[in-house]
Amino acid sequence: MNPIRKQRLYALIAILIGSLLATWLVVSALSENMNLFYSPTEIKEANLDQGTLIRAGGMVKAGSIIKSKDSLDVSFTVTDYQNDLLIKYEGILPDLFAENAGVVVRGNLTPEGDFLAIEVLAKHDENYMPPEVAKLLDSKE
Amino acid sequence: MIPEIGHIILISHLVLSFMGGILPLAAIYSKNDFLSIPTKKLSVFLFFLILVPFLVLIYSFLIDDFSVAYVSQNSNINLPNYYKLAATWGAHEGSLLLWILAMNGWLIAYMFFNNSKDKDYISTVFSISCQVIFAFSLFTLFTSNPFERILPIPPLSGADLNPSLQDIAFTVHPPLLYFGYSGLMIPFAISVAAMLFSKDTKEWASNSRPWTLMSCSFLTLGIALGSWWAYYELGWGGWWFWDPVENAAFIPWLLSVALFHSLIASENRGVYGKWSILLSIFAFATSLLGTFLVRSGILTSVHAFALDPERGLFILGILAFFIIGSLFIYSIKDFENETTPSYELTSKEFGFLLNNLLLVVLAVSILFGTIFPLIYEAITDGKQISVGAPYFEVILFPFALALGLLQGFALYLSWGTSSSFKFLPRLLIESVSIFVLILIILFILFDNLHLTSFATIFLSSWILMGTLQINKNKNLNYWRFLRKRAAVTFAHSGMAILTLGVAVVSSYSIEKEIILAPDDSVEFGNQTILFKNTEDIMGPNYFSKSATMSFSDGSNISDVLTEKRTYSPSGQLTTEAGIKTEIFQDLYISMGDNLEADIWSFKVQIKPFIRWIWLGALMIAIGSLLAGIKRVRKT
Repeated sequence: MNPIRKQRLYALIAILIGSLLATWLVVSALSENMNLFYSPTEIKEANLDQGTLIRAGGMVKAGSIIKSKDSLDVSFTVTDYQNDLLIKYEGILPDLFAENAGVVVRGNLTPEGDFLAIEVLAKHDENYMPPEVAKLLDSKE
Repeated sequence: MIPEIGHIILISHLVLSFMGGILPLAAIYSKNDFLSIPTKKLSVFLFFLILVPFLVLIYSFLIDDFSVAYVSQNSNINLPNYYKLAATWGAHEGSLLLWILAMNGWLIAYMFFNNSKDKDYISTVFSISCQVIFAFSLFTLFTSNPFERILPIPPLSGADLNPSLQDIAFTVHPPLLYFGYSGLMIPFAISVAAMLFSKDTKEWASNSRPWTLMSCSFLTLGIALGSWWAYYELGWGGWWFWDPVENAAFIPWLLSVALFHSLIASENRGVYGKWSILLSIFAFATSLLGTFLVRSGILTSVHAFALDPERGLFILGILAFFIIGSLFIYSIKDFENETTPSYELTSKEFGFLLNNLLLVVLAVSILFGTIFPLIYEAITDGKQISVGAPYFEVILFPFALALGLLQGFALYLSWGTSSSFKFLPRLLIESVSIFVLILIILFILFDNLHLTSFATIFLSSWILMGTLQINKNKNLNYWRFLRKRAAVTFAHSGMAILTLGVAVVSSYSIEKEIILAPDDSVEFGNQTILFKNTEDIMGPNYFSKSATMSFSDGSNISDVLTEKRTYSPSGQLTTEAGIKTEIFQDLYISMGDNLEADIWSFKVQIKPFIRWIWLGALMIAIGSLLAGIKRVRKT
């Protein structure tokens, strides 16, 4: 085999192996780490497994935020103006979390049908609305 | 009146950059000297035509001219002057001006310091750069005019700059990042000009290399500063979130690193010419794509720019024009007469091929994860998903491992022929010794060894010894070392230090959320944390509730201040973390909620070796800047 052909073959084999491995890696990583977004209405209709990690969101209902006095437990209700969802969380809320503002949480459903959040997403602009919530509200108007 | 002057000069910048984008090419292809223009002078003139509008905007901020819509949205009477200055690039419109200014800066630098003697070729690089600049100028004027007025009744005080942007790191982070992004315009223009003039691979690669290196240096600095800013300003203590905006900067960074490595092979051996051209195009394209993703608001991101679909479409148009245009030239170009020298499997050329393959496939995988939510939404008709950080971590790890292993011995490979691997046993012994030494130090510092970090820590010592030892082999004296090897030594050791930082911080960090009343204390790691007292502070444009906390490890006691600020015009809350920085760790505390009376919740974290991440990044930036400047001056 002439040297140029030989080096093209090396390059080709390297590229082929590289991209195959990468594709496999991407597909397997993606299938484990993608979180679907649900509105409160969709959660009610979807009949989800309790363990599944999902994202949910909506507007935080005024007067629904209840903070514990002696622990970091907090609960609040999000709404898409058709259905409500009670969110429970333990931890410090982000600075921009507020009543009548959009919020996205990540976590899973509890046996009681509430949502146990492991993360409340913070955005660093007060006017910012998570696109998921913005679309949700658009479609309800 | 003054903003209108800025507006008019911006329009003349548009017109002139259009002419700069057309005339030199027309002169070359029609062979008509009447059309040719002095490109060097024009580049300086263009720079001033964008500098003036930029200064006008700064002036409008400083004198609180709230009749300018952009000023009224992003400034406030009570904002300190220093932040008024920084607010100029605090949002979309002003940051575009800065971006164009940076592109013009690069263009001047290229026109005066490039190493080519071919006038027509340089004019073509100038012309293509002007086309890019024109596109951005057009975009600014038509969708994002920073000089738009609110008339007849301007607001009295303005809405204020987003409080989390009122910060020292923020004032320098965007300019550096934009310098990095916009610098990629030069390699792009060079690659197109090289195709048009059928330049010899070695020649154009040597022309492109310094500019790629310098853009990459600025990108590195910009990204590192952004990471540092997010770390202390957002109050979460994280340093990388795999947010789309971060990925949008990380992807062009990966490609520019791949590009300047591939250019080394192209310049020295004349190989990978076509590949380097494609990489130049895509490095530039991904820097535009990042802008598009961020500013069109189609992806969920912590970086919120005012969202406007029209802007997104416009950037997409610019992107399509330059990608399709350059790929079209690529596809009709006849590369057949180019001869490529041959090389063996264990040669340096093949090392660079592997390096590029890994970097590019990694970049593509990250890009895929970043835009997958869009693809998914499109094919499932509106179902929304997000791709979490674990995806990117799973992807990154094997690539980083392979890249690091390669990096450790890549410097020993020889051009063309099969390399001798005589160095390997020594390198292995040395890196294992350093690895063990690091483990001992970690054990002394933290009384603990985390198995999960072993691979990465070994990788770091492997890269470090691979980089340092080669200088010994070459028997360099001090000056020859500085001239020949300082840049690569700096950059590669920086990578080792960054890797070590990442390894340690991701496995040794601890965090806890606690509730304390004044004079209460709590044990955390090897520290005792005491909540001393709270205090009210009035800042220039905020009110703050602050808590003095003291960390004590038995011998050293140090106080830090953490604050919960309420900024007055907007009422927005921000958390200022209290951070005690030591060489080997950061003690990090941020104020949470007020539970009752004086009882507060806090989040405390110990972040070992976190500074090493940014130190490593800084070394990479310095190394690539040195390498770039050295090659500019060589001519």
